Amino acid sequence: MPVVGKNIPHDSARGHVSGESLYIDDMPFARNELLVDFVGSPFAHGKLIDIDLSEAQRIPGVVGLYTAKDLACNLFGPILKDEVLLVEDVAWFLGEPIVVIAAETRDAMRQAKAAVRITMEELPPVFTISEAIAKQQFLAPERFIRRGDLAAGFAAADHLLEGVFTNGGQDHFYLESQAALVYPGENNTLTVHSSTQHPTEVQEIVAKLLGLQNNQVVCITKRMGGGFGGKESQATHPAVMAGLVALRHKRPARIVFTKDDDMKVTGKRHPFENRYKVGFTNDGVITAFQVELYSNGGAYADLSTAVMARAMTHADNAYFLPNVEIKGVCCRTNLPPNTAFRGFGGPQGTVTIENIMEEIAFLLKKDPLEVRRANLYGETERNVTPYGEIVMNNMLPRLAAEQFRRSDYENRREAVRRFNAESKTHLKGLSCTFVKFGISFNTKFLNQASALVNIYLDGTVQVSTGATEMGQGVNTKIRQVVADQFAIEPEAVILMPTSTEKSNNASATAASSGADLNGSAAVDACQRLRTRLAEAAAKFIASKEADIEASPSNILFEDGYVFDNRRPARRMSFKELVKYAYHQRISLGERGFYATQGIDWNWETGSGNPFLYYTMGCSVAEVLLDRFTGALKVLRSDVLMDIGKSINPGIDRGQLTGAYIQGMGWVTTEELKYAANGDLLSHSPTTYKIPNIQDLPEVFNVDWIENDTNEVNLLRSKAVGEPPLLMAIAVWTAVKDALSAVSGDEIPRLHLPATNEEILMRLTHYRKTAASSVTETVETARV
Amino acid sequence: MRDFIHFYLNGKPVTLSGSAVFQTLSDFLRYERGATGTKVVCAEGDCGACTVLLGKVEAGALAYRAVNSCIQSLYQLDCTHVITVEGVKLNGTLCAVQEAMTANHAAQCGYCTPGFVVSMCGLFDAQTSVTEQDIKDALTGNLCRCTGYEPIIKSGLAVETDRVVKFSQMYPQAEMLESFRKLADQPIYIQAGNQTFGSPTETAGAIKFKAGHEKTVVVQGATDVGVWCNKRNFVPPAVLSLSKIEELKDLTIAGDVVRVGARVTLSELEAFIKDVVPEFYAILNIFGAPQIKNAGTLAGNIANGSPIADTLPFLFVMEAELELAGGQGSRRVGIREFYKGYKTFDLAADEIIVRVHIPLPQPGETLKLYKVSKRKDLDISTFTAAIRLTVEQGMVGNVRIAYGGVGPVVLRLPRTEAFLSGKTHTLETYEAAGLLAREEITPISDVRGSSEFRFQLAENILQKFFYETC
Ligand SMILES: Cc1cc2nc3c(=O)[nH]c(=O)nc-3n(C[C@H](O)[C@H](O)[C@H](O)COP(=O)(O)OP(=O)(O)OC[C@H]3O[C@@H](n4cnc5c(N)ncnc54)[C@H](O)[C@@H]3O)c2cc1C
Ligand code: FES
Ligand code: FES
Repeated sequence: MPVVGKNIPHDSARGHVSGESLYIDDMPFARNELLVDFVGSPFAHGKLIDIDLSEAQRIPGVVGLYTAKDLACNLFGPILKDEVLLVEDVAWFLGEPIVVIAAETRDAMRQAKAAVRITMEELPPVFTISEAIAKQQFLAPERFIRRGDLAAGFAAADHLLEGVFTNGGQDHFYLESQAALVYPGENNTLTVHSSTQHPTEVQEIVAKLLGLQNNQVVCITKRMGGGFGGKESQATHPAVMAGLVALRHKRPARIVFTKDDDMKVTGKRHPFENRYKVGFTNDGVITAFQVELYSNGGAYADLSTAVMARAMTHADNAYFLPNVEIKGVCCRTNLPPNTAFRGFGGPQGTVTIENIMEEIAFLLKKDPLEVRRANLYGETERNVTPYGEIVMNNMLPRLAAEQFRRSDYENRREAVRRFNAESKTHLKGLSCTFVKFGISFNTKFLNQASALVNIYLDGTVQVSTGATEMGQGVNTKIRQVVADQFAIEPEAVILMPTSTEKSNNASATAASSGADLNGSAAVDACQRLRTRLAEAAAKFIASKEADIEASPSNILFEDGYVFDNRRPARRMSFKELVKYAYHQRISLGERGFYATQGIDWNWETGSGNPFLYYTMGCSVAEVLLDRFTGALKVLRSDVLMDIGKSINPGIDRGQLTGAYIQGMGWVTTEELKYAANGDLLSHSPTTYKIPNIQDLPEVFNVDWIENDTNEVNLLRSKAVGEPPLLMAIAVWTAVKDALSAVSGDEIPRLHLPATNEEILMRLTHYRKTAASSVTETVETARV
Repeated sequence: MRDFIHFYLNGKPVTLSGSAVFQTLSDFLRYERGATGTKVVCAEGDCGACTVLLGKVEAGALAYRAVNSCIQSLYQLDCTHVITVEGVKLNGTLCAVQEAMTANHAAQCGYCTPGFVVSMCGLFDAQTSVTEQDIKDALTGNLCRCTGYEPIIKSGLAVETDRVVKFSQMYPQAEMLESFRKLADQPIYIQAGNQTFGSPTETAGAIKFKAGHEKTVVVQGATDVGVWCNKRNFVPPAVLSLSKIEELKDLTIAGDVVRVGARVTLSELEAFIKDVVPEFYAILNIFGAPQIKNAGTLAGNIANGSPIADTLPFLFVMEAELELAGGQGSRRVGIREFYKGYKTFDLAADEIIVRVHIPLPQPGETLKLYKVSKRKDLDISTFTAAIRLTVEQGMVGNVRIAYGGVGPVVLRLPRTEAFLSGKTHTLETYEAAGLLAREEITPISDVRGSSEFRFQLAENILQKFFYETC
């Protein structure tokens, strides 16, 4: 029986529930192991004058103190090479590492950190997008996606709408903070155990910064205690620090960030400030759409330009924009470099247009869903994105129709209206949003993967791929895929720790593409092995059966057995076949490779086919607000997606619920608050509030539609890692909808996240405006 | 007198003395015992990754409750049985909770999972049948970033309850009880380096210890003290535990007054007060999380003296009294008089709080309590309020209002109270009172909210009160 499509447990589930799964800080301590930590900049922006290590050096148990000059190279970056590991001259964010410390004990480390004396001259910092724009402080040149004739589009409009949308950042809050453990080997080799989504990048940067060749460094990732993008590029920093100490002292060296340090010095989801101008008809159909996306990139480029590319290619979301201009600018500020976070700019692009949909509906006094449906991508026409890719296999209309019915939208819309007319204490809001999330790395060359499949003599299989396991279940899915390739039990297949020794030059496990790319590479390896095994089996069976010729194409693999379909009775177990093949001196190991075909992207023209396919969804959320405290409760969420043909429904469902709740946190309670000097005040779960078990929507319907037409991807599946996070945008637009019941003629503007404070301050504003009966002019004009 | 502590870890006895007793339980587990199933994420009690079960003698048997091992010091563990994730398996095979969580995808990255397993095992040890709400309530103190919780709740509902084996069956309960019984009446005194630990068996002994050791810190649940140790490098020179003093465990109603002994945990109080003062119960229900309430005490909440301590507005409007004991004997002080300024108290160096006396609301009185926080559960308040008054023939009387989070201490609002007295119970009255309330407070802006937000809440809460009571 095939195991793909089955709901088998995560391959680490038993270890997880027993507490036996090992993470970096759980690996046994070696007797001579060193602890590694760092001291960072006291200023968000400052010129380094002096580093005095003399006092720290005298502390017993402190064995090494290192600065930038101890690195062979101090310049790197995942895209643009603009980042230093240790400050040499100017610090660009508070806590930016300056000194690396190696110590024998935790006590010595604590003392040493306090004893390092850093003298700096404070420089004026820049924290916000508007300040950065005023100073023209950018990480990269602005970029555009354009289509059609904006002027004509605006001229054809019945109405114009202008506004600014702003969103805050989001901390990944993976539970396992950044960590690395490095073992020195012979001849200046290093084995780096890293909690990273990108072992190859760790390998490369460790080698480069320490003056080694790539082949002297092996990076191994067994698992991460959560990644969410936060360990795509930023796991490298601790790894280099531990690597430096391991190399110098020839002793194992381990670094594990505290949660507070991790939150303070690592990058987050990008805040955006998006300025839009939209023209639309009386029916709410958009005729022209112009948006300037500004992201707060922080101190260094990191992945900001790629994040911006995804924001720009998701600014249309599910809606056809005939005449459009999308501009993207990454601002440089004195915050830790912002980075990948589940959705990778997609959420910020998407929420911007979902916000606009609400506002158009408000101005036209229409149901926002009606406006959305009027603009939804068509199946045969109005189906080309601003960047020229055709929305193939468009499930949006089907999802809309289905969700409309399932969520009982119409009746609930009416119930909400009635409730708001009656209740003096509360307000309700209802909203339906869409998601169309492009799958593939926007950067073409990253869309490749390799896999190593080894069959052992007892018929069991080890698989190694470049994919890293962070809980998303990629290893379980590949286990299922490989098991089916040989028609064996999934227990006979084990996924090995990700290692640069087995999967060289691998891309990050990111962009939701882990299973797509690496699973496909595993299939490639399996198919070649199967071809060889089938040949061997054909030969063997023909030698036993008098009247047939060996014919590999007649060989079938089923339920752990291999047979010739002309002689099904003479079957051999997979294990017997493996043994036989071994004795025939047939290779039982294979390396597979996969490169996504048919995708391309051109920044010169801002166009191309960057995505292999889209994962789609339609989301309905209903919220309840307290008029006096601003407290928000999510009453009901309906999540309906198209995720193709699921490889593991249990795992996919977990991605949907997990991403949704994470997205809900971003749009409601997760707020990054900084002191005036740039110090993050909400740097631990006491002050940074991710959703709690009690915050689940009272009714939480999560489902997907049947769709087995996604022929372009692995077994017709679709990527599910990121897209469901965007489904939670409906919670935020539902708050906006609730506010629209009391905002009079004023468009209910709302910052994201919609915290209780944000909500109450908006409500208070509307109450005061209503009381003084001064109605502000609506920001629209007839043309 | 003895100079060691004794507890059981997953059924095996552990005896420790000297400086070792001052380390946290999570450090001991992870670094001394190599028992790395227990994870540390926040080291401040706020995520539950480090959850363990603590079995304590209650009514002649061991009752197990979840606590956060990152903020528990070993000296708190004398005469307890600690069960970690390594100790919930049955002869090496997964227990019913673990099986259900495996089958229902309750773990993704797995880092939060041991904490959830332990919390859930505690729930099923205490209770045979559970509702969805029971599961949520038991897991409020455990954060998960991956699953969205839904699969975890599903797992809880899927646990095969007839397969659950109680800890009293799994572990040698009689042996443990016997060893605890022998040690229960022996006070502990441990001195190591510059730290001293004392756990007397009588109040007099506690007063003597406190008088004899400068800068003594009473440590009860350590849900405040443990955080200072981990996050502010706080090293208490002398630690006084009250955990062996039986007389401080009383929880009774005498006449119209509830007496709460200093050792009473917030969980015990929550269960006790449920039907007595439902409003206060509702506040305790969203106070911290089970792990916090199983360790933390009412006395600790009072003595910590934070202006956003959740129990205080209630105690202020009920005009509770603290019973203090010291070298000069015992005395009583009104809760309002106890606070002399930000974290300064009417408490002599040799005094401890032994008991809290809380008058109960009278028939005909209306009492409403409010907690505003960014997240409803497991969050520290931005603003708190208590309003107690009577409405007779449409007229407001006997008004007592206390606000928290709007000044250095919890405040009564005398002008607003006076204004409301004798006014009609109408919206206009409360709107006007709200404007007055603004003038009596001095909120600051901090990570939990701006001063404008707090001003607005202070104004609005009176209107909310009106709508809830009209
Ligand atoms: C994650 C987390 C969540 C929390 N959530 C909340 C919340 O929702 N609401 C809230 O109000 N608080 C909350 N707190 C704070 C804390 O839990 C409470 O203040 C609790 O009541 C403290 O009790 P304790 O027994 O643990 O005190 P301890 O930490 O043991 O002691 C606290 C202080 O009180 C003193 N003390 C204790 N007992 C006595 C006594 N008998 N006589 C004299 N002094 C004494 C101690 O010396 C110390 O100064 C939270 C804390 C954490 C870590
Ligand atoms: S580690 Fe977070 S509660 Fe203990
Ligand atoms: S499974 Fe990853 S945090 Fe819960």
